[in-house]
Amino acid sequence: MSNDLNQPVEIKHIAHQEGPKRHLITFVISILFTAFAFAAVVFAGQSPFVAPFIVVLALVQVLFQLYIWMHMDQKGHELPAIGIYFGFLIAFLAVVTFVYWLGGY
Amino acid sequence: MVGHGHVSHSPKRYTGLMDWLTTVDHKKIGILYLIAGGFFFLIGGLEAILIRVQLMYPENHIFVGATFNELTTMHGTTMIFLAAMPVIFALMNAIVPLQIGARDVAFPFLNALGFWLFFMGGVLLNSSWFLGGAPDAGWTAYPPLSSSFSGHGVDFYVLGLQIAGVGTWIGGINFLVTIINMRAPGMTFMRLPLFTWTAFVTSAMVLFAFPAITVSLVLLMFDRLFHANFFNPASGGNEVIWEHLFWIFGHPEVYILILPCFGIISEIVTIFSKKRLFGYSAMVFATVLIGFLGFMVWAHHMFTVGMGPVANAIFGVATMLIAIPTGIKIFNWLFTMWGGHIRFTTAMLYAVGFIPTFVIGGMTGVMLAVPAADLQYHDTYFVIAHFHYVIVGGMAFGLFGGLYLWWPKMFGRMLNESLGKWNFWFFFIGFHLTFFPQHFLGLMGMPRRVFTYLPGQGFELGNFLSSIGAFLMGVATVILIINIVVTNALPKNAPADPWDGRTLEWAIPSPAPEYNFAQTPLVRGLDALWTEKMAGKKEMTPAEPLGSIHMPSASIMPLIMAIGLFIAGFGFMYHLIPVIVLGLGITVVCMFIRSLYDDHGWHIEPDEIENNRKGVKA
Amino acid sequence: MKSEMAILPPNPEKATLEGKNKVLGFWLFLGGEMVLFGSLFATFIALRHGTAGGPKAQELFSLPMVALATFILLTSSLTSVLAILGMHRQNVGVLRGWLWITVLLGVAFLGLEVYEFTEYVNEGHTISSSAFGSAFYTLVGFHGGHVLAGVTWITLLIAQSYKKGLTVITAPKFYLASLYWHFVDLVWVFIFTVVYLIGKVGT
Repeated sequence: MSNDLNQPVEIKHIAHQEGPKRHLITFVISILFTAFAFAAVVFAGQSPFVAPFIVVLALVQVLFQLYIWMHMDQKGHELPAIGIYFGFLIAFLAVVTFVYWLGGY
Repeated sequence: MVGHGHVSHSPKRYTGLMDWLTTVDHKKIGILYLIAGGFFFLIGGLEAILIRVQLMYPENHIFVGATFNELTTMHGTTMIFLAAMPVIFALMNAIVPLQIGARDVAFPFLNALGFWLFFMGGVLLNSSWFLGGAPDAGWTAYPPLSSSFSGHGVDFYVLGLQIAGVGTWIGGINFLVTIINMRAPGMTFMRLPLFTWTAFVTSAMVLFAFPAITVSLVLLMFDRLFHANFFNPASGGNEVIWEHLFWIFGHPEVYILILPCFGIISEIVTIFSKKRLFGYSAMVFATVLIGFLGFMVWAHHMFTVGMGPVANAIFGVATMLIAIPTGIKIFNWLFTMWGGHIRFTTAMLYAVGFIPTFVIGGMTGVMLAVPAADLQYHDTYFVIAHFHYVIVGGMAFGLFGGLYLWWPKMFGRMLNESLGKWNFWFFFIGFHLTFFPQHFLGLMGMPRRVFTYLPGQGFELGNFLSSIGAFLMGVATVILIINIVVTNALPKNAPADPWDGRTLEWAIPSPAPEYNFAQTPLVRGLDALWTEKMAGKKEMTPAEPLGSIHMPSASIMPLIMAIGLFIAGFGFMYHLIPVIVLGLGITVVCMFIRSLYDDHGWHIEPDEIENNRKGVKA
Repeated sequence: MKSEMAILPPNPEKATLEGKNKVLGFWLFLGGEMVLFGSLFATFIALRHGTAGGPKAQELFSLPMVALATFILLTSSLTSVLAILGMHRQNVGVLRGWLWITVLLGVAFLGLEVYEFTEYVNEGHTISSSAFGSAFYTLVGFHGGHVLAGVTWITLLIAQSYKKGLTVITAPKFYLASLYWHFVDLVWVFIFTVVYLIGKVGT
């Protein structure tokens, strides 16, 4: 085995020809979720449930980005997933701390 | 396989100084880290001795007020960021690729960039001594002291650490990918040597912890240089934000420092007890668990801030939990030594000295984790004694032991064992003499970061002993330097395997050749080399035929990119927009060039490898 | 090596060890960026009511403009994934075309952001007007800086593609740039939610 980093190391089966369909669907879903969030703020801005509702919408939308557009659903993405989730965990802890102990609510 | 057409076969190999400035070889970068880290260690040590000179007698007037504040601030900052981190990266660079049977790290260019960023950041920080005074707000730089009540020095702290921190962060990513992707055939995760495992967890912690200090330094920089209001309550700001962000980074940072030393101790204890590590998988589990819990406990540095009983209790209990995996490690080292064929080399002395010392530091850590008690200990010398027991008694002992262990592999020469033992005993006795009395000074109420104390309060003896101990550690350091100088004058004759080692780095010549392994080894068990030795073989089974080896090209660009940020740092500090543009411009242009011109590298051909082999055997 | 000659393996971005290293290293980089933006978000959330008598979020923000910016960035995220689909079909023309559109959308987003910031400064909302101002400009500015870096990077890659085409060396670069662009969009999803929408609600 040569150690040349730019030698192809594996040529397996032909990749499935990934169509644009699911990406277009994801796009439509993203636009819809965004529209829901804006609509919720415009039409129900006084409700105490608006903030948690739109945060959940954002989280779902982010999962679509990660799993569909960034291909985290495909095989071989275990370590990237650990990296993203652990980073998210630290970020989440920081946000929770700042919300509850630094008057962010 | 023959290299393909576009690869240059006439390598551009630099010599002399240019070789060191352009190197992308992880072994040379390791030596650069060691030299730079050692240099900053001497500066930080000198600062420590000056602090102890001032505190030797009550009402001393040698380094008072602002000067004392500069000394303590720079001692802490230098030792943590510019001495401990680089020496850890020195050993990781020198050893981890060898331990996993790799020819190189995943990103040689980024590795060099990481070093030069760290180095330029360190130089920027220390240039403050000559440009209007060093930072003086403590190594933790809490606002508003650091934002509104400190001089120009804190600007050097902010920008110097920012540049150095980016370098460390890049280094962390490089080691993660190296350990994940570059392992030799058969080197599964559960066969990784413990030092590599700890390097892996430490790199992961670097990855997730350093962005927090990047942000906190950015906020402080904006407050100081652009009149932002993050830490200014009069305009709606909140100083406690800094404390949280700093410790979200800062607590993982102390585990970043100590974990690789746990790994070093594990290597030393196994080699010099001639036994396999007791409870390998428990050790791995404990390492990962410490890494994880390290992120969950930062607010125990802030019990006196007033977060309330719920937060204090959560963080207190979480902190105490860390004692469990740490205890697992302590017992496993003891059980490894139990019944072993122990050789008390200098490295082993450091490992054996490490265990009780670290246990003391860990015990005081659990004491400090009790919030109610911590309100009494907070900001006293008890805290100083605690963290020096873990950082010096733990980390420095581990690093010194690691240097004695791996010096032949890094430099091809054996450090002198007699001088080594003098070095150890002076350091060991000096260390305990310095910091053991500080526990009692703290319990008696002596506050930290205050430049003097009055006579007649019972502080005299403890401080006097402490200062004598610091001088002894100074003597120990001088002995180490003499040892290095003496060793360097001797011929390069270290054997490949001077200690009867167990892991892959001992399967190749000392120092390791440029390509590490002439043929990638096939790993057949934990302690790869020992497995072969037990099978009656003298060397590793190769996993490939001898062939031409691809190498990355040397490059001056990492240095230039770091210099660009160094220049931009001064531009920010003095509000000189052209200088900022110039500095950032240099760095960005280098990035463009790096993207546009692909590095195809060069090859070392089999005949050269054969010549090297014969040279070693002759 | 021009694209029309190259017969590439199915996933050219991970066909070489160097490509694999780059992709993994970049994902880890993004994991670290999570903490970076998490810290900035936490800071913003803690300081968003600290207006100190200056302009408040409710008075400043204009939802139509935010909606437009969001639409632009979401669309650019789609176009960058379509570029990668083109790359996987080994069609450098499709790859380049979608990347050009991505860059144009990125520039449009930046233009909108510059316009927005200028408006705010005219209304007395600056980085030094209050802690809210400091936190707002730092968080949104960091994101904007990422967009600027992405636009520059992708432009540089497009320029390279004319000369180098699509090879196992250039493929990882396109793939990484696309991952980066999605990540920038991902951060924006939280920004429009947490900064603008919740800011408009005022809780």
